[in-house]
This record gives sequence, C-alpha cells and structure tokens, in this order.
Amino acid sequence: MVKFLKPNKAVILLQGRYAGRKAVIIKSFDDGTRERPYGHCLVAGIKKYPSKVIRKDSTKKTAKKSRVKAFVKLVNYQHLMPTRYTLDVDLKDVVTGDSLQSKDKKVTACKETKNRLEERFKTGKNRWFFTKLRF
Amino acid sequence: MVAAKKTKKSHESINSRLALVMKSGKYTLGYKTVLDTLRSSKAKLVIIANNCPPLRKSEIEYYAMLAKVGVHHYNGNNVDLGTACGKYFRVCCLSIIDAGDSDIIKSMSLSTNE
Repeated sequence: MVKFLKPNKAVILLQGRYAGRKAVIIKSFDDGTRERPYGHCLVAGIKKYPSKVIRKDSTKKTAKKSRVKAFVKLVNYQHLMPTRYTLDVDLKDVVTGDSLQSKDKKVTACKETKNRLEERFKTGKNRWFFTKLRF
Repeated sequence: MVAAKKTKKSHESINSRLALVMKSGKYTLGYKTVLDTLRSSKAKLVIIANNCPPLRKSEIEYYAMLAKVGVHHYNGNNVDLGTACGKYFRVCCLSIIDAGDSDIIKSMSLSTNE
C-alpha cells in the first residue's frame, strides 16, 4: 500500500537492449501519457559498468577503469524490477521530459548523467548500484 | 516446529472470508494483475497458492515487501484457490483491493502479528 516506484529508486531493467542493467528512476508517469497509455517512467541507467580497480593500477589506469557509460530511457513499469535500494543522485535537472526528443539532447543528457554517476562511483558510495548484476 | 500446522478451522475461515470478498469486495486474479495492483499501491492483501513456482512466489513477496502489503500463503494449490474463489479455473495468486464486508485483511494481519 506504499507507492514504491518513485524517483531515486534503483531498478533493474528486464527487457530490451539494456536488460540486466541497473537504473535509477528520475520521473514516473503512473497514469501514462497520450503517447504511452500505460504506467512508465524515465530512467537513467548504466550502459557500461566501471571495471574492477585494483591497488596495483596506476592513476591513469584507474581513471580509465572507473568510466561509466550511461543511458536514458522511457521504460514501461512491466519491464522493470524494483529493488529496495535508492540512489539519490540529482538528475532531475539534467534528464527532463524533452531530453528524449532529439538525438543531441539525449547525448548531452547522457553525458551529464555519465559525469554525475562517475563522481558518485568515485566516492565509493552506492557500491551495489555500480556492480554488474551476474546472471 | 514454529509454524503450527494449519488447523482445519482456520482454513475454513479463510475460505469463508474469501467467499465474502468475492461477493462484496474488489479483487484481481492472476500474476500480471497482482503485480499491477502492487505497483499502483491498490492491493491490500495478496494470496499465493502453495504450488506457485518459487521464483514467482519470491518475486511477488518482494514486491509486497516494497509496497508493505501482507502476503498470505494459501494452504492449497491453485486448483483449490480457484475453487475457494468460486471460479472454475486455477488461480495461482490473487490480490484483494477492497475487502468489502469481509475482515480478511484485519484477521490476516492479526494472525501474522501473533
């Protein structure tokens, strides 16, 4: 009886190209819109997870290994698996409803989410979110 | 043995409460709609048959945990649960949206708290 598909919730995508990837809900449309008459949400997720960094690595190598590639997508609720985790990264201003209108807007949104996710990864918080889901 | 064997009396009472919900309340039957009601926070109680596949069972339990909704494991398989709902088909899981005149939700929460 508690709504749990809220912004900042960590979810796992179940279908599509990004199946198995972890994402965070930025905006949820419970009752859908004209174009999408079903419950869906705007998520930003990790396209390519950062690799494992070991102590032996040089700074150049750690910088290369800690890179994150991000994606932004509108996903149906049915194609998500919600988790009990949350990720409070402020992406509301970066990823907006019209980020997906044109290709270059999407690219800028992805670039900015990539930067924000990378700096969150480097702090070492939300470790679960940045580990690849093994299946 | 922590979990007491399900007595016949309580089993019958669940059946009678379910029958009352079928008559007077709102419910949905089936896995897809159960997940829908859990996502939209409409579900008040979820009942799962005992021969539900374990992956599906744990998925429904996880959703219910997130939504803070009680889950009742029905003492019977999907055939029995369908019969208890008064339907002529199998029901693996069902979700009660509005209990109507029945006190199934209150009695379920009481028995799980004990």
